[in-house]
Amino acid sequence: MIKITDLGQFVIDGNESSIVENVNLLVAAKADPIAIINEGLLGGMNVVGEKFKNGEMFVPEVLMAARAMNAGMAIVKPLIADKDMPSLGTVVIGTVKGDLHDIGKNLVVMMLESAGFKVIDVGIDAKIEQFVAAVKENNADIVGMSAMLTTTMTYMQEVIKACEAEGLNVQYLVGGAPLTSGYCEKIGAIYASDASGAVDAARQLAAVTAVEK
Amino acid sequence: MGKDLILKTLRHEKVDEVAWVPFSGVHAGFLKGFTAREVLTDGDKLFDSLMEVHKLYTPDGMPVIFDLQIEAEILGCELLWAEDNPPSVMTHPFAGELKVPCKCKIPKITDGRIPMVVDVMKRLKAAVGDDTALYGLICGPVTLASHIRGSEFFMDIIMYPEYVKELVGFCVEVCNAMSEYYIDAGMDIIALVDPLISQISPKSIEALFLEPFQAAFDFIRNKGALSSFFVCGDATVQMDVMCRTNPDGISVDENVNLVDAKKITDKYNITIEGNIPLTTTMLFGNQQDNMKFIVDMLDNIDHHNLIVSPGCDMPYYVPIDNTVATVQAIKQTDSVRKMIENYEAVDENIQIDLPDYENLDKPFIEIFTLDSATCAACTYMVKGIMLAKDEFGDKVDIEEYKYTNKNDIARVKKMGVEHLPSTYINGKLQWSSIIPGKQELLEVVGKYL
Repeated sequence: MIKITDLGQFVIDGNESSIVENVNLLVAAKADPIAIINEGLLGGMNVVGEKFKNGEMFVPEVLMAARAMNAGMAIVKPLIADKDMPSLGTVVIGTVKGDLHDIGKNLVVMMLESAGFKVIDVGIDAKIEQFVAAVKENNADIVGMSAMLTTTMTYMQEVIKACEAEGLNVQYLVGGAPLTSGYCEKIGAIYASDASGAVDAARQLAAVTAVEK
Repeated sequence: MGKDLILKTLRHEKVDEVAWVPFSGVHAGFLKGFTAREVLTDGDKLFDSLMEVHKLYTPDGMPVIFDLQIEAEILGCELLWAEDNPPSVMTHPFAGELKVPCKCKIPKITDGRIPMVVDVMKRLKAAVGDDTALYGLICGPVTLASHIRGSEFFMDIIMYPEYVKELVGFCVEVCNAMSEYYIDAGMDIIALVDPLISQISPKSIEALFLEPFQAAFDFIRNKGALSSFFVCGDATVQMDVMCRTNPDGISVDENVNLVDAKKITDKYNITIEGNIPLTTTMLFGNQQDNMKFIVDMLDNIDHHNLIVSPGCDMPYYVPIDNTVATVQAIKQTDSVRKMIENYEAVDENIQIDLPDYENLDKPFIEIFTLDSATCAACTYMVKGIMLAKDEFGDKVDIEEYKYTNKNDIARVKKMGVEHLPSTYINGKLQWSSIIPGKQELLEVVGKYL
């Protein structure tokens, strides 16, 4: 039987069937489900994130890796009590109002989940009310917003203002083709240029929020 | 204006100036006060807007329409329309099923918005086609396949490569049909616009898409037109395989380092087009930013096999004066380099005495330009305002201040002029970039008499 740490390579290869087969074997052998997640599945996805950032992996390969990882998660999750599930924090995420582009946003969702965040995806064309409601309902730490268009990106600032008006203690993480770090700084958000960068930024932001909360 | 300049540049011949192509898609509508939706659906409004692009931006080449959803709409994708953006694809007809559309679905010249587009192409060809190279833009086969199939298409690339080949093969046939319609309507260049290419590995492109793209570009070449391959996003690592698809030109956005990318395109003797940053420079920058970007770009790159253009479709609200400054910097690079130096050097030592605007004997019209001798938009502004002189004679004073002159730059600074060309009356901004019609001009000036 393989070692838990060997699962990572199957994730990197996007090899779903090998993940399913070997996670089942490990579970049958009474391996620690949390170790399977942290040392096996998430370990693999961390490598995927790095390779994506470095231009060694691309969207199709990352989606395949996430699919393999999710297949493994589906086996071990039922074995872990909710309170024991590793979580770095909660992110409410969506593509803002007027914008339907979700490939990038979906990648970020997968990478955040892979990194150990709980993610509430409010989908595409997401309005202020949806962001605010989801933050309140889930006591979120971070609001993530995506926009592909120069005209929809301005809506991010409206979401931020609305969250501030509601007194929500959250950090803002944004990304999308037309955005720049300068613009994001102006609206009071942190900019991530790709899905891996979003995970890195979310880790830092979650740490800040955890201290504040 | 240089149709020949574009054609020669794309044929890799030696030229003595740098060619300029503004990708004014929905932004063309902004020039005439039409919405994005109006210019993408109403032929007359599109034509009027394109004529304004031609007049103000003096392009060597220009696209007729920039909408990657025309083909997808005909193939059954539902669209979400916007007033300041091209539409987005909302639904994908083959999401959830590994199917390829029937060849009977290849768009006919009578389908969807094609008749409107072809009609405008013919009208534009007749109006400006002798002096301006016209680009017909087509949704590239990979992006079109993703429109048809949805985001599952990405995993199809790995899980079902044979299906992907078949689907993209169908999409190439769509591209060929569109190319034929557009070339027959007078387009000099056909661009396959395929933004998704930057998200796919060079290895997958090589295995699945190299031959289909080569076939599409061969088709265009055999029909007697030139070709270009437009990509968006960071396509640095894809440049080499893109070159091997054999287009005449490749257009990239600001995510790609143009100097480095050109080393690759030069190796294949392919013309590179790009890459003025759409947001930071064109949309949110000022005229200085745009001029500086262009001068820096042209100072740092070999001009052979080069066309300067925005990175992609210009945002709807790009300030007109930013593009005017861009044109000036491309076409009058030396004088603009001097303007920038002067602007930075001009300090408070130059004494400018502004008149007592509240107590003038007669209306004082001041026109601030980059240089009306060389900047088309400035020329139109000066000519337009001078009509007030014809009408009112000595009852009004009119003066032009040019950005080529240090004293005039100092005046621009002192007056707080932000956009060129602009017209002030009695010290107050009246028209910024927008040239008034005769009736409006006479009415406004008349109020000051």
